[in-house]
Amino acid sequence: MLVSIFRGKVALALKVIALLLITSVFTMLAQHAFAQGEYAIATFLILATFAMNFVYLTQKSVPLKFFLPGLLFLLAFVVGPVLYTVAMSGFQYQTGNTLSKQEAIVQLEKLGKVQDANQTTLDVTIGRTKANELAVIYFDSANKEFAVSTEKSRTVQNSSTVTKNDFDVPNGSSDFTKLTSDELAALDSKIPTLKFYYDGEYYLGLEGFQAASLYKQSIAYDAAKDEFKSLINDKIYRDNGKGNYSNINNPEEILQPGWRAPIWFDHYKSLFTEKRLRTPFIGVFIWTITFAALSVLTTFALGLLLALALSKALRGRRVYRSILILPYAMPSVMSILIWGGMFDTEFGAINNLLGTNIAWFQSAAFARTAVIVVNLWLGFPYFYLVSSGALQAIPTELAEAAAIDGANPRQIFRKITLPLLLKILSPLLIASFAFNFNNFNLIYLLTGGGPINQLDGDLAGSTDILISYTYKIAFKEGNSNLGLASAISLIIFVLVASISLYGLKKSKVLEDLS
Amino acid sequence: MTKWLADKLWRHIVAISVCLFSLFPLYLVIISSLNPTGSLNLTSFIPTEISFKNFSILFNDPRIPYLTWMRNSLIIAGAVAILSVTIGAASAFAFSRLRFKGKLMGLKLLLLVQMFPAILAISAVYVIMERVQTFAPAIGLGTKPGLLLVYLGGAMGVNIWLLKGFVDTIPTELDEAAKVDGASPMQIYWLIFIPLATPVLSVVALLSFIGTFNEFILARLFLVDMPDRTIAVGLQSFIGGQYAQNWGPFAAGSIIASVPIVIIFLSLQKYIVNGLTAGSVKG
Repeated sequence: MLVSIFRGKVALALKVIALLLITSVFTMLAQHAFAQGEYAIATFLILATFAMNFVYLTQKSVPLKFFLPGLLFLLAFVVGPVLYTVAMSGFQYQTGNTLSKQEAIVQLEKLGKVQDANQTTLDVTIGRTKANELAVIYFDSANKEFAVSTEKSRTVQNSSTVTKNDFDVPNGSSDFTKLTSDELAALDSKIPTLKFYYDGEYYLGLEGFQAASLYKQSIAYDAAKDEFKSLINDKIYRDNGKGNYSNINNPEEILQPGWRAPIWFDHYKSLFTEKRLRTPFIGVFIWTITFAALSVLTTFALGLLLALALSKALRGRRVYRSILILPYAMPSVMSILIWGGMFDTEFGAINNLLGTNIAWFQSAAFARTAVIVVNLWLGFPYFYLVSSGALQAIPTELAEAAAIDGANPRQIFRKITLPLLLKILSPLLIASFAFNFNNFNLIYLLTGGGPINQLDGDLAGSTDILISYTYKIAFKEGNSNLGLASAISLIIFVLVASISLYGLKKSKVLEDLS
Repeated sequence: MTKWLADKLWRHIVAISVCLFSLFPLYLVIISSLNPTGSLNLTSFIPTEISFKNFSILFNDPRIPYLTWMRNSLIIAGAVAILSVTIGAASAFAFSRLRFKGKLMGLKLLLLVQMFPAILAISAVYVIMERVQTFAPAIGLGTKPGLLLVYLGGAMGVNIWLLKGFVDTIPTELDEAAKVDGASPMQIYWLIFIPLATPVLSVVALLSFIGTFNEFILARLFLVDMPDRTIAVGLQSFIGGQYAQNWGPFAAGSIIASVPIVIIFLSLQKYIVNGLTAGSVKG
């Protein structure tokens, strides 16, 4: 009975139905993605659909039937983002440089306008001419006449034919009918881009549905030379190769917005050459290493001490053990937030216990101490558990032999137990180092990376580790730099991967594979 | 007597003092949650008055949609646990039991991928999901299904690796016998392997549940609206910078959220310790 679900017609029918469902959902998603110009995502969806149908409808590869779903998830959410990170790190991709170059040029032309000297603003009504051209009607106070302007021309209206609304604003004439409110609503998104003819030099630009100001273009784009020229002071702006048009005589002066320009390895280079980036980067890097090393050292030392203390039969050992692993069993997000309250200056338990009045998170040294103490609390149970395990794995004969030869317990520990223990635990120590290297939650939730030296306008705080610093660079409101953040992420990955690979070599996992 | 002192006393002293260190914050949270004033005041360590006001605030104050947060966390973590084990178990079976070309290469790649900390690609995941949002609003940025997909994908490497480690310890005699009798890999998988592996699979599912429940930053980036938040993000934003006013309800909330996790963890102790020595570190 049960077997029939896995074999025969029922199984085939179930399989075909599932495949049909997946195929239709994926195809639909791919179409939508394609329509939005997301070609990479669309291609992935199509290929995934083909792969699934091929694998599950043929008998080509049985193992693939088992790991294709997992593989697709890994490709979509790990390999894809990693490749995307690599790509982003080669681009100028930050606030002000998020558009494509084409879009940026359109934006620059649109924004490159100045008002006339009197800052004239007119009350207007939007409508259509008899020739069905979009137009505005207004009373031109400078020339004391009613006029209708379309995109290309301006015609003076006979004042007797002009009708006005309650506020004395013209809203119709023999040549002009105003738009209905539905038509206006449909126009809403185009309002900032509409231009109406005024006198050749100036044009009327709309400021909403009922007002327009006189503008003239202040910069002009020359497509042949790919440059912007100021129409006011003749300054020339050229593509600076970094995603902006900049003044050829003063490279610091750039036009906004810019675009996502490929700049290859500039982010990596500037991290090491530009002082503005190098100083915080190196500071954060040194603290990251220090933090990770100190965390491993303190948690391992305390965990080992406990493991040694509880290595022999002792009354209450089971109770001790249960209490000791509580910090490890607690959800760490909660624990970190609780510790945050305990370090409060005025009402916190720590100051009260020590009889001090320290503003823990205001000074670099105290904040760093707090981070290490909290991480010790979070991490020692781990090393207590693994050290206990490792101590049991060490054969007792060695210690006994040494004792017979007259070694005291201290010597036995230093010369025999500790070296053996380190040998067994070194892969875990390295893994713990790698984990703490990226211990984002602790830093972000406890200190937020602070304290920050506000005067520098720097992002990096005294307790920021590389990953929390990267997060700030990537997601700071109004000043995010995804390109630079991606470059630092990749540097971190290379570091962590080398550390982990070194650890794996020690643990012989790689040899076990083959 | 002196021998007892030398041999046992120091052990008790070490154990008791570290126990105090480990219990200290937990004790403070418990007395704070029972303190009716609700404000942060960790200056007296002995409770003077006991009330459950903070707990009732959690369930009645519209500023803290505590139950909604809890439900979000349970649904997301539960779905991630079940789906990731369902998908991961099949992959682990292939890597553990089947023979195929490129298996060693595949294992090495898997090892590399599961080492990659998901947080490093966070800006890329954010931008990609922002783009997905433009054509599939139901699974893009800011949606729970979108977050679920990201969690599933991000944890897939670790889960397959962990599952493979556990699955390797299940004896192969039964499925080899079935193979001799002419069973197909699909039959071996469903009729022999899955029943055998169920205990191991539930352990990994629970571990994955704990991990997801405890995840903070992706949830924080993805779920912006107050009622969409998970318990970790909700409580953090609730307490965020305002330790003074909201401490009592926060303490009560974190206790309720932690108790189930602590219970799961303690009951899985044996497996977790085995997993630890295999080199995985709890996040």
